[in-house]
Amino acid sequence: MSIYYFLAAFLFCIGLLGTILKRDLISILLCLELMIGGVGLLFVLFSKSTGLIDSQLMVFFMVIISACEVAIGLSLIISLYQKKQTILTDDIKIITE
Amino acid sequence: MMIDILITLFAVIFSLVVVFSNRTVVSAFSLLLALLCIGGAYFQLGANFLSAVQVLVNAGAIAILFVFVMMLINLEHPVLNKDKNKFKLILGAFAILVSLGVLAIVINTNLESFSKDFLLDNSMKTLFGKLFEVYYLPFELATMLLLGAIVSVVVLTKQDKEPLE
Repeated sequence: MSIYYFLAAFLFCIGLLGTILKRDLISILLCLELMIGGVGLLFVLFSKSTGLIDSQLMVFFMVIISACEVAIGLSLIISLYQKKQTILTDDIKIITE
Repeated sequence: MMIDILITLFAVIFSLVVVFSNRTVVSAFSLLLALLCIGGAYFQLGANFLSAVQVLVNAGAIAILFVFVMMLINLEHPVLNKDKNKFKLILGAFAILVSLGVLAIVINTNLESFSKDFLLDNSMKTLFGKLFEVYYLPFELATMLLLGAIVSVVVLTKQDKEPLE
């Protein structure tokens, strides 16, 4: 069993922990990137263990989608900062206001 | 085998720095290094094209984009990222346990149900042959998604201009 299985599980879990514990939006996006990296590594491992190349194409699409996600997330953060002058999750109460 | 262990060790260290560092800039640069380590892992696993894509797109573009946005936002005081909320800690521990269980099930199922005797053809010809024959519709949809992302980024970050008097 390859050591990369443990790395993929570790990356996903540590990203999840950071997403829950962090307080500013940029750090939350960084931890989401870690989670996506772990899942991509798992896809490549499955491609190696099954011999099918489709899993690698899934990682190719995942890179595209994560690029879109980061671009839109960062632009949301910038537009939020322009309006509220903060990126902390505790200070943002748009829904409850 | 030695280089696999080294890559795993560095990726673990850098991802821990990403989560437990109080300074966001340090987190972003360690994310860059962690993504580079993942790219090295792809290369070790035989996915050469994906390794190049990982280094170019994820490490080269996305991580630098984070640093660029941090410069734009220009936080005056460093954000103290330590949360003392006990409920969040319990929730985090529970989420990690559940996801570890799910990952263990997925990995075990995959290893048992397929044999390892396949010879994986990793050439570009096979990869892109499959991409443009079987997955051409998702590929086109991905281009539409990129276009939509570009337009929405422009719309979201556009500042409202004051009307001219």
